[in-house]
Amino acid sequence: MNQFDFLQKATIGQYIPTESLLHRMDPRAKIIGLGLLLFAVTFSSSRIGILIGLAAAIIGLLAAKIPIQFALKGLIPPLPFLLLIALIQILLMPGGGEQILFSVGPLKVYLANVLTSLLMILRFCVLILLLSLMTFCISSSELIHGLQQILSPLHRLRIPTMDLIMVIQITLRFLPFLAQSAEKIAKAQASRGAEWGTKNRGLISRIRQIIPLIIPLFLTSLKRAETMALAMDARAYGFKPYRTSMFEYAFRLRDGVFLLVTLFVSIAVFCL
Amino acid sequence: MKTLFVIDHLSYAPPKSNKENFLILKDISFSVQEGEFIALVGANGSGKTTLARHLNALLIPTSGNVLVNGINSRNQQFRNQIRAAVGMVFQQPEDQIMATIIEEDIAFGPENLCRLPTVIREQVDEALAVVNLLENRYRQSHLLSAGQMQRVALAGVLAMQPRCIILDEATAMLDPKGRKDILARMEALNRMGITVIFITHFMEEVLLAQRALLLHQGKLIFDGKPHTLFSDDALLDAGCLEKPAAVRFFQCFPALFPGIDNPVLERNKLFDSIAPCKVKFSNLSEETYLPKQTNPSEIEIRDLSHTYMAGTPLAHLSIKNITMEVQKKVPHGLIGATGSGKSTLLQHLNGLYRPQHGTVRVGPFDLNAADLDVKSLRRYAGMVFQNPESYFFEQYVGDEIAFGPRQIFGTQNLREKVKWAMDLVGLDFLTYKDQIVSTLSGGEKRKTALAATLAMSPSLLILDEPTAGLDPHSRKNFLKMLSHLQAEGIQMVISSHNMEDIAEAVQNVTVLSEGMSMKTVPVEKIFADPSFLSKTGMESPVAWQLAQALRNQGWPISPKSITIQSIIDETNAAINRENDESI
Repeated sequence: MNQFDFLQKATIGQYIPTESLLHRMDPRAKIIGLGLLLFAVTFSSSRIGILIGLAAAIIGLLAAKIPIQFALKGLIPPLPFLLLIALIQILLMPGGGEQILFSVGPLKVYLANVLTSLLMILRFCVLILLLSLMTFCISSSELIHGLQQILSPLHRLRIPTMDLIMVIQITLRFLPFLAQSAEKIAKAQASRGAEWGTKNRGLISRIRQIIPLIIPLFLTSLKRAETMALAMDARAYGFKPYRTSMFEYAFRLRDGVFLLVTLFVSIAVFCL
Repeated sequence: MKTLFVIDHLSYAPPKSNKENFLILKDISFSVQEGEFIALVGANGSGKTTLARHLNALLIPTSGNVLVNGINSRNQQFRNQIRAAVGMVFQQPEDQIMATIIEEDIAFGPENLCRLPTVIREQVDEALAVVNLLENRYRQSHLLSAGQMQRVALAGVLAMQPRCIILDEATAMLDPKGRKDILARMEALNRMGITVIFITHFMEEVLLAQRALLLHQGKLIFDGKPHTLFSDDALLDAGCLEKPAAVRFFQCFPALFPGIDNPVLERNKLFDSIAPCKVKFSNLSEETYLPKQTNPSEIEIRDLSHTYMAGTPLAHLSIKNITMEVQKKVPHGLIGATGSGKSTLLQHLNGLYRPQHGTVRVGPFDLNAADLDVKSLRRYAGMVFQNPESYFFEQYVGDEIAFGPRQIFGTQNLREKVKWAMDLVGLDFLTYKDQIVSTLSGGEKRKTALAATLAMSPSLLILDEPTAGLDPHSRKNFLKMLSHLQAEGIQMVISSHNMEDIAEAVQNVTVLSEGMSMKTVPVEKIFADPSFLSKTGMESPVAWQLAQALRNQGWPISPKSITIQSIIDETNAAINRENDESI
């Protein structure tokens, strides 16, 4: 892997058009269905429930024809943080159970705490997989148009949903842009002798090479945001309080079935 | 005919700068009728973009008025009607792409105009067909090449079906074929009654327009026919322009073109009407190619392939089985359509990419070696990126240039090294070192970028599209500087879409097509095969076409003559001999 391919490392936030059944589903069904699952996994307190969630995420990835390995790659970057949080939780939580696993000096490690920490890590992994699945199979405009229709009742209450949705769209557009800008600036600095792609791989030298990247990245992003706003203006954004869509979605039977299935799974995750 | 724009004593200063000398536009007045075809020209930083942005109410005049269809752009209530009527394609295409999927981006405009879904789909299909991206419609916009992105941006505007389209250097990043496509489409749109206003630095494109506007330091100094503009040397000089090759040749030898009065209006039959040469020249055949002496190779590439995002579902083969050789001391060119893998190939040369497959050797460095000293390689092979000004990361010119040498040599003699590099590119050390980078003109920025690389004293200079977006004067200066550096012993590898650049700056050319290297030949040979060129998205420069037309009429133009200056010189010599023999 090339160290300049920032984009390659971020598996989350990329739409992968595989034309699977899941991709062809009505976006509203996908958003609500996967949203329900996310909600259930977040608030479920049972281990079995979260395992069901994990199974659901993997089945979803298979159905969307996404290579599991590729999806799992997205788990690697946040893993150190999760482990750190888990460690802190294990060591600093007041003793919740009687069973002491072992003790290091004054610190006692309780079995119950280890289990809750493992559960937390698992929960986050399932959440990341589900979120990745969402971005893999819902294109940004499906997300936009889907949300627009889901939120349209709010629009009638004079809540500015259009702007909210545009914020999401621009954010999605900026993710690959940020990665690319970082790549460009890193390449420019590397070409002029900075320590990119050379053998130094110590933590301090890596932090050192990231610092000079940040300020130019901010500057280009701000400049970019300005021109993008201009370009939106030029293409008559905000012309009318509402926008139409290139796509017309028909809510079909299979979308209904999908929603029902996810609803049942979500209830299972939440209650079991 | 209906009046579309009335610009009345327009002046503009950016907000929060009420001083007189900050005026970007000064007292500009003109009007545009519906259906006109106008070229807006001027040096980098002369205010072209600012003026264009007034035409669709993105900017509001500081004083004076802009009326579009009779609506004053100050009138906020109707500003949106102006924007629906006047479409704008911006300088940097990637800045105006909103959606992550191409067809959805093109739908953005019509969706804002609340058109019906069926209508939108129709308009999107139509716009995609125009810019030739139908088969790419589901691709992600950020994975496109610069040229493809420009086409997406144009399609996004076309889909809104505006009455006027403003193109802000929309062809700067395209290969010759792509440029021709867009220009032909511009003409077709104009024939359908749409007003087209385009900003360009290509003088050949100005010839297409019915009317030219020339800006100089914010003032409108010329408004009239392109032919009139190109007959006025003083005006061209003031506006940092140059004559198109054909016009220049015509004005040198009007007697050679019997029956042609106006080289602009009659440019299509210009080359066919060249008078035959009266004297037979016997030495023509002697001047065919002498085999060039072959120098030892500086760069050797064998079977190089590179796949982007390898191992992911988005894997995308960029170059495959490239084999090429660059000879020592021979400037080398790289041409190919947009997206043919030129930039990827160049980034292998200084170790930004390591060969995934195949071998690369650059000077003494073997890029396949595990113990490659990447830092020394990058010092040895200096890289100037495409659009280098968007990569600047320091605030002051001096600091920007000092970045490289500081990393490599430390702070010792840093000042001297920066000064040396700035002298080399013709930037005065004391005047420029404390200037803020963003306030420089386009040409100066390009020079700063070059100096920043030169400050590391590289032996090899890699330039990716070095003259794209420069006005004719800056471009000429830049090329002159490159030939000067070449004389100093710095080896060049240049990729460019501009065939004139290639003709002037390099001797050998490698042609890339769809990620494969087609062949490496001397530059004058590449232009001799128009069918091969057009197949790879290229086109021979006008100067070369002119030389060919002259040769057909028996004029002794040597095959080595590929710049307009040398053609003029040789024609002059031939006319002199003609005169001598008739005496």
